[in-house]
Amino acid sequence: MLRDSTTEPRPDIQLEALTLAVAADLPVLLWGEPGIGKTAALTQLAAALDLPLTTVIASVHEPSDFSGLPVVGDDPAEQGVPMAPPDWAVRLVRAGRGLLFLDELSTAPPAVQAALLRLVLERRIGALRLPPGVRIVAAANPRSSAADGWELSPPLANRFVHLQWTHDQDVVVRGLGGTWPRATLPRLDPDGLAEAVGYARRAVCAFLTARPGLVHRLPSGETRRGGAWPSPRSWEMTLCLIAFATAAGSSREVLSLLVRGTVGDGPGLELMAGLDRMDLPDPETLLADPSGAVLPERGDLRQAVLDGVVAAVRKRPEKSRWDAAWALLARAMETGAPDVVVVPATTLAGLRRQDWDVPASIDRLAGAMSLSRRADRAADRAAARNAGTAKAAR
Amino acid sequence: MNTPASSTAASAPTPVSAPSPAPPQVSASARASAPPQVSVSAPADPQARTDPQTRTDPRARTDPQAPVRLDLDKLFAARLQAARARPYLATALFALCVVPSRRVPTMAVDRYWRCYASPVFVDRTPLEELAGVWVHEVSHLLRDHHGRGDRVARERGLTGPAERLRMNIAADCEINDDVFGDGLVRPEGAVDPGLLRLPEGQLMEDYLRQFRLGRLTESVAWLDCGSGADGLEREWDLGPDGADGLSEQERDAVRFRVAQGINARPGHAPKGWQRWAEQAFHPPQPWRELLGAAVRSAACGGGAGEDYTYGRPARRSASLPGVVLPSLRRRPPRVAVVIDTSGSVSDAELGSALLEVAAIARAVGGRRDLVTVVPCDAAARVAHSLCRAEGIPLVGGGGTDLRTGFSKALRGRPAPDAVVVLTDGQTPWPDTRPPCRTVVGLFPRQRARASWDEDDPDHVPDSPPDWVRVVEIGSAPPGGR
Repeated sequence: MLRDSTTEPRPDIQLEALTLAVAADLPVLLWGEPGIGKTAALTQLAAALDLPLTTVIASVHEPSDFSGLPVVGDDPAEQGVPMAPPDWAVRLVRAGRGLLFLDELSTAPPAVQAALLRLVLERRIGALRLPPGVRIVAAANPRSSAADGWELSPPLANRFVHLQWTHDQDVVVRGLGGTWPRATLPRLDPDGLAEAVGYARRAVCAFLTARPGLVHRLPSGETRRGGAWPSPRSWEMTLCLIAFATAAGSSREVLSLLVRGTVGDGPGLELMAGLDRMDLPDPETLLADPSGAVLPERGDLRQAVLDGVVAAVRKRPEKSRWDAAWALLARAMETGAPDVVVVPATTLAGLRRQDWDVPASIDRLAGAMSLSRRADRAADRAAARNAGTAKAAR
Repeated sequence: MNTPASSTAASAPTPVSAPSPAPPQVSASARASAPPQVSVSAPADPQARTDPQTRTDPRARTDPQAPVRLDLDKLFAARLQAARARPYLATALFALCVVPSRRVPTMAVDRYWRCYASPVFVDRTPLEELAGVWVHEVSHLLRDHHGRGDRVARERGLTGPAERLRMNIAADCEINDDVFGDGLVRPEGAVDPGLLRLPEGQLMEDYLRQFRLGRLTESVAWLDCGSGADGLEREWDLGPDGADGLSEQERDAVRFRVAQGINARPGHAPKGWQRWAEQAFHPPQPWRELLGAAVRSAACGGGAGEDYTYGRPARRSASLPGVVLPSLRRRPPRVAVVIDTSGSVSDAELGSALLEVAAIARAVGGRRDLVTVVPCDAAARVAHSLCRAEGIPLVGGGGTDLRTGFSKALRGRPAPDAVVVLTDGQTPWPDTRPPCRTVVGLFPRQRARASWDEDDPDHVPDSPPDWVRVVEIGSAPPGGR
């Protein structure tokens, strides 16, 4: 009776990210304090994906359990020494599908970690090869709580999608009361996959073209050791994750967790910021049809769009484009905060050629100009007051 | 004593009703038009009225006339001025979404980057002061005061609105000591560390330890920068599902852009913001953990300490005839600790670091007799074994040359598996890589020191070579996430 519990649907970003990465067939590494429910999450995931779960505690195994045990036969010189796989691997291969859970990865000795490299990357155990239906998830305790733990070597760390596993107090309390959350799993839209792959390729390629230094950067400094870091391999994983998340319609939060877990926090955040910019409307499209333009609501994004428009006009200055930009600014002025328009308007005014007449739509920007003058006057007053206080302080 | 600050903060979550210097001003009509939360009540403690230090609550100047419409143009003009005075914060300022609210005492933010503004406050405040308020509020969000407030509350067991008011005051102190001036006017009644008689330039977490609500804070009991400043939900908050909130990922993206902008052109932002930008997404970790991990991996890494070998048969071999098994062999690691005893490292620093190394060495299985300590200034004298109970004399002073310390440590027989060096880095380093792993615990020092060295004004100490693992000891507490 004590074991009885029900479930309720509840959005869970962590679980969604985990599911997405497992669906994309990328090895996942869950970082979390002991006893936090990593195994429980895996059990739930296996049930949801209808995969048999095989748990292997990495720290209590020997390297030969993963690389195969050399068995000396009748005539080693003639037949060689075969590397015999352990029984769980044989069963997994026979089933053809399953979820392999490598627990306690960070407390495994370096030699075991080295043996695991081959399992995780090449999916080989001894002479056996894991069938494509087998997914790999690992778990590790963070350095702070792993008293006698080794840190993950950079090559092994680079092969995983790192997810931080934390507990939500509400969920735990409610779960102990008898109701655990049940996450709705993301579903891939097969029709949208081709488009999603194109989107992911554009995003990653555009980003790496702009930031070539981030293509490969080994972790430097103590704080970043054992975690995710950018390399061609992890960028390929990122590309795959963006495509899957886009096709599954996952939220940006989920994608952010995954991307940051694959290439590290800094490059991941930068890529996510790049994605935000990629979703902004194209300046040329806006200039082609200023009256039908839809500008983003958020002030900072709107200013980025308007700056982009002005930059496009500067690149190819023509009277018609200049007029269209003024119409766009007027539209921005009418649909949102006026202070956002001031800087692009000033820059645009500076682009005027002598023979260009001022368009009629500039009247609609009078509000922005008076706002700008008001701010100027306030700045003067502020300077005067600060000078006054400085004098008084002396 | 039941001060007005603590009593009001404890009874009503927010906004706290403040001691008004002129209660008769508030007419019945004002009470009727304004929501009950902002009703200005008579002070609970008569002392507040007699206290000459009491500052006026901006709300106390409420006009008893009909409700004022929010002057958006003024608010936006102020934002424009703020963005011009602090260009590196422009992205964050423009990302804020304005929500008019009559229940907010002044201006407040929530954790979803909405900015609530009281129409009366906007109407009453000069434009140039409003610009300062904008920057102040956005600073709360950029510095993640709500998240840090929640963490501090959890760690130190702080509960209740009074503690959250303290957090708000501490957060304001962190912001206000360097945010104003240089084009921004300090708003009336802004809290700064001087008000609490505390030193400037500290973090919210530090200020929080150093004051209580009492006479000094009476004047700021009305302070309320919203849930974005201290993490406590307010009744005017639109919550996570309301309109125009930023999701966690969007908030991170905005903070990241601001940090990047500051890092890209560090000359344009003041010191406090530069520090924030450096740490916003890479908060320093506790050095004990880092040093522990470094020493552990140095002492136990491949070739040293515990690992698998095929040298001797495994215990399992007996039950598995025909199978070749490796066995786990453990050789306790030998750790040599070279300690910089020159004048520039203080005894307290050395003591804490040495204790830490000894504890780590024990944790990795090193026996006390396998840990040797080499005190070293310009010359290394003796190598001590840590099993000496009476402690090790750390004699020295003057200049440093760690090269002698290295050679002394490496000459030990048997040779150490790992060398741990505790130093401030003002020393020449060996040219060649020693035959074992090296971890350096570095005491942070100002690099500018060399400039006033009379003998050699151009002397800059060498930085540790790249074959060592460097852990900064005594780094600042986490300032970002």
